Amino acid sequence: MTTLTTPNPTDNYLNHTTGIRSWLFTLDHKRIGVMYLICVLLAFLLAGVFAMMIRFQLLTPEGTFLTQDQYNQAFTVHGAIMVFLVIIPAVPAALGNFVLPIMLGAKDVAFPKLNLFSWYLWIFGLVFFLIALGAGGIDTGWTFYTPYSIDKASSMGGVIPALIGAFILGFSSIFTGMNFIVTIHRLRPKGMTWFKMPLFLWATYATAIIQVLATPVIGITLLLLIVERSVGIGIFDPAMGGDPVLYQHFFWFYSHPAVYIMILPAMGVVSELISVHSHRHIFGYKFIAYSSIAIAMFGFLVWGHHMFTSGQSPLMNIIFSLITFSVSIPSGVKIFNWLATLYKGSISLNTSMIYALSFIFIFSIGGLTGLHLATLATDIHLHDSYFVVAHFHYVMMGSSLIGFLGGIHHWWPKMTGKMYNENWGRISATLVFIGFNVTFFSQFMLGSKGMPRRYATYDAFPNADLFQVYHIWSTVGSTILALGFVICAVYLLHSVFKGKKAPANPWGGRSLEWQCTSPPPWDNFADQPEVGDCYDYSVLEWNEEEQGYVWKKDAVHPGE
Amino acid sequence: MFSTLTSLLVTTTQGAPSNFWLPKQASTVAESVDLTFFVITWISYFFFFAITAALIIFMIKYRRKGPEIVVQGPTHNTILEIAWTVLPLLLVAVIFVVGMRGYLNLMEAPEGSYDVQVTGQKWSWTFEHPKYGATQVAQLTVPVNTPVRLLMTSNDVLHSVWIPDFRVKMDVIPGRYTSLWFEATAVGDYSLACSEYCGKDHSKMFATVRVVPIDEFEPLMVKLASEYEDMNVGQLPAYAINRLYNRCQSCHSLDGTTGTGPSFKGLWDRVSKGDIEFTSGEKLSSLLGEATTYGLPENYIRTSIVDPQKHIVQGYLGSMPSFQGQLKDKQITAMIEMFKHLSELTDAEGNITVNPDGTPRQ
Repeated sequence: MTTLTTPNPTDNYLNHTTGIRSWLFTLDHKRIGVMYLICVLLAFLLAGVFAMMIRFQLLTPEGTFLTQDQYNQAFTVHGAIMVFLVIIPAVPAALGNFVLPIMLGAKDVAFPKLNLFSWYLWIFGLVFFLIALGAGGIDTGWTFYTPYSIDKASSMGGVIPALIGAFILGFSSIFTGMNFIVTIHRLRPKGMTWFKMPLFLWATYATAIIQVLATPVIGITLLLLIVERSVGIGIFDPAMGGDPVLYQHFFWFYSHPAVYIMILPAMGVVSELISVHSHRHIFGYKFIAYSSIAIAMFGFLVWGHHMFTSGQSPLMNIIFSLITFSVSIPSGVKIFNWLATLYKGSISLNTSMIYALSFIFIFSIGGLTGLHLATLATDIHLHDSYFVVAHFHYVMMGSSLIGFLGGIHHWWPKMTGKMYNENWGRISATLVFIGFNVTFFSQFMLGSKGMPRRYATYDAFPNADLFQVYHIWSTVGSTILALGFVICAVYLLHSVFKGKKAPANPWGGRSLEWQCTSPPPWDNFADQPEVGDCYDYSVLEWNEEEQGYVWKKDAVHPGE
Repeated sequence: MFSTLTSLLVTTTQGAPSNFWLPKQASTVAESVDLTFFVITWISYFFFFAITAALIIFMIKYRRKGPEIVVQGPTHNTILEIAWTVLPLLLVAVIFVVGMRGYLNLMEAPEGSYDVQVTGQKWSWTFEHPKYGATQVAQLTVPVNTPVRLLMTSNDVLHSVWIPDFRVKMDVIPGRYTSLWFEATAVGDYSLACSEYCGKDHSKMFATVRVVPIDEFEPLMVKLASEYEDMNVGQLPAYAINRLYNRCQSCHSLDGTTGTGPSFKGLWDRVSKGDIEFTSGEKLSSLLGEATTYGLPENYIRTSIVDPQKHIVQGYLGSMPSFQGQLKDKQITAMIEMFKHLSELTDAEGNITVNPDGTPRQ
């Protein structure tokens, strides 16, 4: 039986073994999670530099400092890195790897070697992306649409290395998903039935199903594209009787579910944050759990809404529009349940909670503007415009990434054993919230007013002056956003070296990761712990000496 | 915020000016599209303000006062949860139906629409008016209050026609036709932008839709179709490459790549030197010069256009149709002048660098 009162042992997963080899060949899920976290954040920094290049280019209608080709490369690389290297692995591979086995009271994931292999695949994927940049660059957009991507005469030379990179990253994602499915099925502790799992695990499980079922499709598609571009087999190339729109179907058959690979784990994180930091039992556990599964299932049936203007038959468009609306229901259910959890809670406005509340605000806008795009009559006007750019940044950046940041702050004391400066955290989270909304809200109007996406310049438009106003707002916002991230990086790094020592349970969480020390011991738990209701906080009380929460003396431990 | 609210109150009457969200309305479908847009936007405002209000009120009212506080509350309420599952479902069902009806309206061009053939190619738009035999580049002139149907295809990669003020958009795809229709409701110039990424100069693939009064339209088209008649020989190459070449480009490239037919690049050189061999084994050089079939190389080119099957260049199938009767004599002259001056009309990659009036193309 582990208890909260165990004094912090000096031995933990960070200092159990030392040296670079002990990290590079580690099979410990926590270390692999930390390595993912470092890599993902570095990739995020790189993609962020490209994002700032895009924003500053568009300050004037003629473009400020990039050529057409350079701009096209910038948005392609920004998108490809953010999707394949950052958002898809962010929550599941970085946070999930660290937290999931501990939440299950397990010593590790089911297949630790496969887990390490997934991380190496991520590295190989990154290497191929860098090769793509060196081998002539890549300017196809992260979507690699045919026939542009197979036209060697016009698209840049780095397409094939980038496709190989995305293919390899796909396997990284598949292996992580498989690992999590098996881990959740096989390694749950005594007493943890499916409906006693923390909601983060439900979200991760739903995500893993998509990763395993959908990602092979993109693998096959990317291989076909590689073959089409290198030898020409005539499947996508209209000059050889192929169908370029077929590629879009194959691509979005994966890439739309992939949107849910990005958002579901973040929703799982937010379910934890909202409950723990409002110190209140989660409201409507089963509805939230089922809504994750529903989103995962519906997510497979809506890919056609990316092709409303691709000359797809009107009947197909109508069917896809109908099914697309169905996704809004489970998404709405989550928001209402989170709000009901906050109701009559005891809300700590700390950094993690500010991120969680930001998530609800931003995801609401992202979700509601999805209605404009799911509706056929309005989508025709808005398709491929900045409205779409704004919408998916609200969902993918404002929701997925902000959920990820909230999760980082929530589990940071557990991962590092250190507390960060809460006030700087609040300032940074507020700047991120303001910066994000200023950056991307202006892009809704930009799009609905008539600015297409992926434009290096916009001086051809008679209303370029109006577009410029919105672009300036957006660039100002992105600068605030960048400042928020820089502050965040500074105080988090500072905490690693100078931060106060973290208690086992600084926030008052009830799930199992808060029952082992911070940072956790090498093998998490000496014995498999027993579990109760992971959202019942009445058994915990504040301990001034620990500066954290401990079990009440008279509280009954589950299983006793 | 204030302008947001006022724009909400804008009733969407036909031809409404631009508001906070949408540009001005200039087509018959714009009104119903905008109405749908505002219905959804209103619903969104409702949920957005309700959610945000709840967030802010809870944030303030239930702010944690001390670390020792323990709260208990209901963990679920099935009726409430079913309610907030089913009610939104009904709401989105209504949105779906409204959107679908508007969409079907967008898809069905009225009988007897005026047809325009649109070709997208990196990075320009060509508009052909079959009724008048007129061709426009980067500008599409259409009559007001007349349904117009665009039948579109691409010569290279994906493009997309978007006319924001008309609220219409459709991708332009190589190897197939797509179409869209609109009926402009006001005379004026409107932006037509490529909205599907197509490479380097995607953001410069722009055209203007010029809507003119019905009685001005026909004379404009007739003039456009016969504009070459008043030109002198020096003006003809720029005319030909902009107005006539588009009929050749699916088979004859400008950059030296081999297509269904030989590239036009360097063609005049090869022809004037007689450096071409036919499938019959004959060489062009033996047909040129005094007292031969053609005499001047210009005559050979003329024959190749009006009777392309007469001599088939080695390595090609000879699938070119005759342009006899389709091109007036002066237009054939224009083509020949174009071959002579091709290097002044294109850059190294085969991109056209002049406008129909001879000014450099941006």
